[in-house]
Amino acid sequence: MDRSAAKSAGFTILELVLAMAIFLVVCAAMFGLLQVSQQRYSSESQLSGSFQEARLGIDQIVRDVNVSGYPPVGMFSNPSSAASYALSPFAWDPGYTSNSPCQVGTTCGSPNQFDLIVETDFGNGVSWVRYQLIGTTLYRTVVPKSVGADPVAATSSPSAMTPFVENVMNNVSEPLLGQIKAQYPAMFPTGPVPLFQYTCSTPSGPQPCGNAAAANHNSPKDISDVDVTLVVKTPYRDMQTQSLRLMELTARGHRSNPAS
Amino acid sequence: MNRKRTARIPKQSHESGAAMLIAIFALMLVSAIAIALVVSSGTDSSLAGNYRTAASAYYGARAGLEEARGRLLWKNRDYINIANAYPNLMSAAGVPTWGLTQVLYILNPAPGESVDPTGTNPANYPDTEYGQEFPWGLGGAAIQTSLQSVSPLGTLPGPSYKWVRINAVTEQALNLDVNGDGVLDRVAPLAYDPANLNSSNQPAPSLIVPGVPASPTAVQALEITALAVAPNGGHRLLQYVVAPLIISPDRLDQNFPAALTLDGNSVGFQTPGTSSYLINGLNGACPSAPPAAPVPVPAIGYINPGDYAAISAEVAPDIANYPGAPVSTSPTCTATTPSLTNLNLGANPILRQSWLTPAALDSVMQDIQNSADVVINGPATSAQIVSQAPAMSPSNPMTVVVNGNLRLNGRGFMGYGLLLVTGALSYDPDATWNGVVLVVGQGVFVSSGSGSGGITGAVFVAQTRDAAGNLLASMGPSCFGSVSGCGTLGSGHGHGFGSGYGSNPGYGINYSSSAVGSAQGPVSYKVLSFREIPLAN
Repeated sequence: MDRSAAKSAGFTILELVLAMAIFLVVCAAMFGLLQVSQQRYSSESQLSGSFQEARLGIDQIVRDVNVSGYPPVGMFSNPSSAASYALSPFAWDPGYTSNSPCQVGTTCGSPNQFDLIVETDFGNGVSWVRYQLIGTTLYRTVVPKSVGADPVAATSSPSAMTPFVENVMNNVSEPLLGQIKAQYPAMFPTGPVPLFQYTCSTPSGPQPCGNAAAANHNSPKDISDVDVTLVVKTPYRDMQTQSLRLMELTARGHRSNPAS
Repeated sequence: MNRKRTARIPKQSHESGAAMLIAIFALMLVSAIAIALVVSSGTDSSLAGNYRTAASAYYGARAGLEEARGRLLWKNRDYINIANAYPNLMSAAGVPTWGLTQVLYILNPAPGESVDPTGTNPANYPDTEYGQEFPWGLGGAAIQTSLQSVSPLGTLPGPSYKWVRINAVTEQALNLDVNGDGVLDRVAPLAYDPANLNSSNQPAPSLIVPGVPASPTAVQALEITALAVAPNGGHRLLQYVVAPLIISPDRLDQNFPAALTLDGNSVGFQTPGTSSYLINGLNGACPSAPPAAPVPVPAIGYINPGDYAAISAEVAPDIANYPGAPVSTSPTCTATTPSLTNLNLGANPILRQSWLTPAALDSVMQDIQNSADVVINGPATSAQIVSQAPAMSPSNPMTVVVNGNLRLNGRGFMGYGLLLVTGALSYDPDATWNGVVLVVGQGVFVSSGSGSGGITGAVFVAQTRDAAGNLLASMGPSCFGSVSGCGTLGSGHGHGFGSGYGSNPGYGINYSSSAVGSAQGPVSYKVLSFREIPLAN
């Protein structure tokens, strides 16, 4: 009896209290860390999800620009129809149906800073591929090119327009723009950020299409490069700081097919 | 009491490990959280890595296409036919003569890797695309001995492409109905005709399905396909269709139509009127006239019938100084003097349609500029050509473009190749040019000073732009002659050597098909189209 009582004597109250106190302190610290980590993880996975979506988007835009203008008219000695070749690497508005190119940066409704129509053939005939930023959604619309049709009208049917990248912040309006500018002054130095910027090939070398040096060489047929800048916001605010989280991706597409 | 005390001692020693267990447990928990943090922040960098991979495969494949395109050019140090290794693929003049089924690969394996596009081993990057384009597949293709890439430099790895394939191309391979006949031809290798006309008789250089007889100006088009695989898996397959770019204004062959071509309306023309100065189109055909003599050309070609009277009057005092085609060989070799020809006669003039309008001719000049070895901004002199093209020699003719005015001078200066001047060319006969001289843009060729040089080859003068540099609607009044004779066009271009021809104006222009030919070989391979072929993986 004495022996067994001695064996199960256990800890003293002091020992237990001390051990529990230490355990609680460690646990509290760990759960605090865990919560921070969970918030961090959730924010970061949102960010990486948005990043992934934006990256796939910008990659597709660059791929389409790279193969724009295929097949050029020079691939045909006698094209069976005007729809069998790309009239220009980039379609335009107004004046496409009369083959009178507009001037990028001034008279062009498309291409502009937030709208671009690529003409190319993915293997099933020439298509118009339109990228258009409406609000915060970048749409991608692919329709087959047809003779006599206007590319803007043909790609404006809501049923054909596919939301491509969401939460695009390039052209948001106030008051969101003000918040973003305050938080990311380097990303938004002035106002909205152009999604597409164009370089034209001129006799004096490549020039931004809007420059005076590109005068008379700034039609959509002269565009040689398209710089794409995509600013994307995560769907929710940062869980820790409640601030907006934006990322900016840039890439450059280069037209390789000769302009007709 | 004593027993109790002694009993507690062993118990204390039994429990002493618990603290360590708790400590280890706590450490494990903390470590797990730390690892989770590291993993979640690592997602970002791997995403960026994937993007880099896809982009590097794209640029790797572009590098492969460009290597093949460059190595098709006869003057490249790594020309594929450098020691006539592939006489059935390339002619002696450097023009492709690929058979329909002939296929040449350029391989670029990474160190320790095996690349075999003709095999079926998936690890060796098999070419599955050829069989999609050509019904006989690689089994029916005449595969030439593969070349190795020249991209890797020393220990530096080259771009990530694995192979490049070069072959002839058909309508079916491109899935394009080139001639609009409703049929995708699978046996006729496509050609490119820079002198092609569309149904409205306008210049429309394009791919053609060669007819019978073949168009004399057409050259074979080739398909270049490159596969690149980045180290962690991104595949890209890109394709060019290219054709050799041969600069020639003649619709009937790839030479020049005259020793001096005055392209334009109301052209200016003055001669020095000295007996040593000739504009000679005989091309060595007279006086010996061997059976296989080179074909003579007219001394002076013009395109506007209204200009004939003025040119004829100018040469009348010394008609013997302007010999050329046509040449009669019987009973003795007799050249036509003066040999003047309208190159724009009839529905199918000798001068290509694309050399008859400012816009089309301007695009030809753009092609030359894009493939030039040296581009110099004017005003310039021969000294700049010497300093920027030191390797120019008879065996290494170069394409030199001067944007602006050029004073071609310098005692003993010898130029070889193709010279394009977009401003005024002020010529001092101390200098000599062997090859082709194009004065297209302002279209002014004035001579002043004395010397013993001249032009061996051909000269072509055309005004396509006004003084402000704007493209004209129709060919302007180009001028070949003296500073004073070319009036406002020539003013200021004599550089103090007087306004007329010098007392010894050199030997003039001596047409030479060999000089013209060496200058114009293919100047580059023009990219007719570029596409990406979607891959399953």
